[in-house]
Amino acid sequence: MSDVTEYIVDRLFDAPRAMVWRAWTDPELLARWYGPGVDTIIHKFDLKPGGEWLNEMKWGDKSDLSKAVFQEVVQEEKMVWHHSSTDADWNIVSNPMMADWPRVLLTVVTFEDAGSKTKVRLTWTPLDASEAEVACFANVMGKMSKGWESGFAIMDEMLVEMRADKA
Amino acid sequence: MEQIGYTQVQPDLDAIFAALADPTRRAILSRLADGQASVNEIAAPFEMSQPAVSKHLKVLERAGLIERDIVEQRRPARLKADNMAAAVDWLEEFRAFWGKSFDQLDNILVHMKQTEAKDKGHE
Repeated sequence: MSDVTEYIVDRLFDAPRAMVWRAWTDPELLARWYGPGVDTIIHKFDLKPGGEWLNEMKWGDKSDLSKAVFQEVVQEEKMVWHHSSTDADWNIVSNPMMADWPRVLLTVVTFEDAGSKTKVRLTWTPLDASEAEVACFANVMGKMSKGWESGFAIMDEMLVEMRADKA
Repeated sequence: MEQIGYTQVQPDLDAIFAALADPTRRAILSRLADGQASVNEIAAPFEMSQPAVSKHLKVLERAGLIERDIVEQRRPARLKADNMAAAVDWLEEFRAFWGKSFDQLDNILVHMKQTEAKDKGHE
């Protein structure tokens, strides 16, 4: 079960490590790519242990606030932070859509040379999580694993049909 | 994360995901996607007792994934599409977060490389 309580994303970027690091750590650049199809506003970005990254993602009239507290920063090699949803005053709150989603996710990002490219690995692990939080995280992660993909595909087909029926 | 406009009550995603974790319950939902069905009709292909199926239906009902007719004696169950859509959308968005963000990062890196090459050309 331990494999589903960890979420790992690997990605190879076609750029030297120093450049990839800059795109992650220059708030102006970071705001341009972090968050899919949303307006990202970085209210604070203090890249040092104990420093905070206060992030807002806006789409339509909705807004999603999160806080990262950096734990470890190794230039061009590694960043570690605690990731949480927050309220408007940047206080940590539970996920507005899922009460049992872990309040704090330990996020580790590593940067490694791969020829002229850079391999980035991002790992999410629930931190000091309650049993319910671990179960919720494992449940969602389990759904993203292969076994659930087939079930998920069925669900998608059903939804397409249902939406077609409604229209 | 997009919210569904018409549900007065926020869908309970924890309950939905827990309900969806079970393969039998997913199969029941697939069955109901073809149209409403009674407990008997649902139980038929599963080699499962009626009480066992009823238990699964209760979990699905509590999660808001199905609703059951209270007027008709055989209490047919049918799918509630909106809550299902909310759960699928949430998972899709979650799954897409880093993938889509990283695609955007790819574009920025291409841009940075071009700028750097141009700067070097001027030196």
